[in-house]
Amino acid sequence: MNYQVEILLVEDSMSDAELTIRALKKNNLANKLVHLEDGQEALDFIFAEGNYSHRKITDTPKVILLDLKMPKINGIEVLQRIKSDERTKKTPVIVLTSSKEDPDIQECYRLGANSYVVKPVQFEKFLTAVSELGLFWMLINQPPQ
Amino acid sequence: MSKNKFINTWSKRFSFRGLSIQQRLPLLICILLCSVILSFSFASYYGVKKASLEMGKKRVRSLTDQLGTMLSESSKAMNTSTLAVVQKDTVKKYVQSRGTEFRSETLEMLNKLRKDSTWCLVELLDLSKTPILRSGDEKVEAKLSLDTIFSSLTVGPDSCKAGKIYVIGDSMYYPVVATVTDKKQIIGYLVTWRSLSSTPKGLEQLSQLMGTGATLYIGNTGGSFWTNLIKPVPSPPIDTQHIQNIFEYTNQGGKRVIAAVQPITNTQWWVLVELSEQTILETSTSFLHWISIIGGILIAVGIFIAWLMSRNITRPLHKLTEAASAIAGGNYSSLVEVDRSDELGKLARAFNIMAVQVRNAQQDMEGKIIERTAELETANKELESFSYSVSHDLRAPLRAVNGYAQMLHEDYGTKLDEEGKRIIETIRNNAIKMGTLIDELLAFSQLGRKEVQRTKINMNELVESVLIDMDKSFAHKAEIKIGKLHQMEADYGLLRQVMLNLISNALKYSSKKEHPIIEIFSEEKQGEIVFSVKDNGAGFDMKYYDKLFGVFQRLHKQNEFVGLGVGLAIVQRVITKHAGKVWAEGKVNEGATFNFSLTIT
Repeated sequence: MNYQVEILLVEDSMSDAELTIRALKKNNLANKLVHLEDGQEALDFIFAEGNYSHRKITDTPKVILLDLKMPKINGIEVLQRIKSDERTKKTPVIVLTSSKEDPDIQECYRLGANSYVVKPVQFEKFLTAVSELGLFWMLINQPPQ
Repeated sequence: MSKNKFINTWSKRFSFRGLSIQQRLPLLICILLCSVILSFSFASYYGVKKASLEMGKKRVRSLTDQLGTMLSESSKAMNTSTLAVVQKDTVKKYVQSRGTEFRSETLEMLNKLRKDSTWCLVELLDLSKTPILRSGDEKVEAKLSLDTIFSSLTVGPDSCKAGKIYVIGDSMYYPVVATVTDKKQIIGYLVTWRSLSSTPKGLEQLSQLMGTGATLYIGNTGGSFWTNLIKPVPSPPIDTQHIQNIFEYTNQGGKRVIAAVQPITNTQWWVLVELSEQTILETSTSFLHWISIIGGILIAVGIFIAWLMSRNITRPLHKLTEAASAIAGGNYSSLVEVDRSDELGKLARAFNIMAVQVRNAQQDMEGKIIERTAELETANKELESFSYSVSHDLRAPLRAVNGYAQMLHEDYGTKLDEEGKRIIETIRNNAIKMGTLIDELLAFSQLGRKEVQRTKINMNELVESVLIDMDKSFAHKAEIKIGKLHQMEADYGLLRQVMLNLISNALKYSSKKEHPIIEIFSEEKQGEIVFSVKDNGAGFDMKYYDKLFGVFQRLHKQNEFVGLGVGLAIVQRVITKHAGKVWAEGKVNEGATFNFSLTIT
C-alpha cells in the first residue's frame, strides 16, 4: 500500500512514543503515522535511502514530529539535514522537547524548526502548532479509513 | 583667633612644600650664599673702613705736624732776618738818641726789610710803643691799636715773634714784633706788618704737596679766627681745649671730614688740616663695590651649579616616576636606564629588579588565571551538560510514570474502586511535583550562570509590576504598604525575581491570617541600601535560621504551605551575585522580615 505518510514521529523512547501516539489517536490524527526510533532511520526514510530506498523522495510526510535527544544521530542533526536540502526544507518540523526551558529550542528555531511541543504531547499546544503551519484542516478533516 | 589664622596663611604662603626639589635646592643654596656673602662683605667692608679711617687719622696728624714744623721753620727764618736789623748798632743808637745822624741809615734798613709787596709796613717804636720811624703804608697801622697787639703778645729781650692775624678792610695782616735790646735791656720795638694772602695757584701747589682731599687752614691760637689763606672762614667745630685730638665733623662745604690741629712755634698761630672722609674711604668704597660684583657673580654661579646638581638628582627621579607610572598603568616592560653608581643609581637598579619581578609575577598570575579560567569554564560546561541531561533523563521516566498512570485511569478506571483511583491520582500528583522540582532546580542552576547586568532600577515601579503579576496568579486579601523605595543599580531581571519570591512568600505565609499586612520599605545604612519585606504571617523559629536559605529546605509542612524550598535560595544567590547580604528575622505566628542590602554604586 503506497499512501502518503501524514505524520512522521521520530522518537527513541518507546513509552514517550506510545503516549504521543495515544494522544494523537484520541484526536483522530494517527491514521497515517510512521514511528521511527532513531535519527539515522529518520534520515533514510526522508531521503529514501538504505532500507527505505524503495520510497520516493517526493513522498514527503505532511509533518514531522522530531525528538531531539536520540542515540547515533540526534534531532538537531536531522533537522539540519532536512532544512538544508532543497527537496525537504518545506516540510514542517515540530520539535518534541522535555522542557520549555530547553536551550536547544533556540537552536532549533535558528535551524528552521516550525514549532515545538512539550512532551507528553500537550494537545492544545500541538493543535496550535499545526494550525500555525496551515496543516490543521488537512489533518483534522482526514476521513477515517 | 584671627592672629593664628594670619600666621597659618603666612606660613602656608612661605611653605617649601609647594616647591619641587629642583627648585628647593637652588633656593637653599641662594639663601646660604647670600647670607654668607652679605655678612662677609659687610664685615670686611667695616673692617676696611675702620682701617682706612685709622690710616686717615694718622695721615692727617702727621700732615698737620709736618706743616706746623714747616711753618714754624719759615717763621723762624723770617724772625732771624728781622732780628738781624734790630741788632744793628745804628738802629740801637737811633732808638736811644733819635738823632738825625742815624735816621736815614736806619730808614734804609727798614726799607730793605720790606723786600716784597706782602711787607706793607715796618715801624720802629720806643719803649712806650710810640712810633719813632716808619717805612711803608701807614694806613694799615692806623686801623689797629698797638696796645691790642702788645696786650696779647709778650716778646722777651733779643727775640722776635709773629702776632695774631687781624682783618683790616678786605685784607688780613699779622705783625712780627722784635725787641731792640741794649745791654739786655729792651729799649724799643720793631713791628713789621705783613699781609696774609695767597694766590689760588700757590694754594693749589700747597694742596698737591699735601695730597688729594686735604685742605689747610691757619688760625689764631685759641681758635677765635680762621682763614683758608684767601679769606676768613667760620671757625671749624673743634674742641680748643684738646687740640691734640683728631676731630670729625661736617665742614662748611657739607662734607664729612677729619681734622687735626698743631700750634706753630714762634707764632700765635695754629695750623689745621682737614681731610675729606670720602677720600679716605675711597678704598673701602671701591672694596665694597668690587665685593658686591664678586658676590653677585658667586651667587649666580652658585645657583647655576645648584640647579645643575638638583637637575642631576631630579632627572633620574623623574625617570623613576615615569617608569613607576607606566607599571601602575599596566606596562610592565618599562625599566629605568642606569648610568650612575650613587644612591639614585642603586635606587634605579633596585627599581628595575622590582619591575622585573613584578612583571614575572604578573605573567605567572596571568598564566594561572588563564589556566584556572579554562578549568572553570570546562567544569562549568560539564556541570551545564550534566544538569541538562539530568533534567532530560529524569523527566523521561517521570513522563512514563505519569502517562501510564493516566492510561490506567482512562482505560481501566471503570474497573477500579475509589481507593484504586486515589492511588493512581497520588502517583500522578507526585510525578507532576517531581517534574516541577526538576524545573526549579534547572532554573536555579541557570541562575548561577547568568551574568549580572546592572541598570538603574526604580524599585517602586519594579514592586508595582511584581504585584500586578502576583494579583493575576495568586488570590490574596493582604493589605500591602509600600514605602518610598531607594533607586538601585542592579540586574533588573534578577532583582525582579528576588522581589517576586519575597513578596509571594510573604503573601503565602500570611494567607491564613485574618488581616494579613505586608510592608515593603527601604532605608540607607552605612553606605548600603537595605530593602525589607515584612509580613505578619506564620513566621519561623530562629532556631532553624541556618536552614532558611538552603535549596529544598523548608520550615513548614506541605499541607500547611505549598512550596519547594527554592525561592529563598534563589534570593540569596542573586543578592550574593550582587555582592550584597541577605538576612531575616522571624517569630512563630507573629511574622517575618526578610532583608537584603546592596551597596550604593
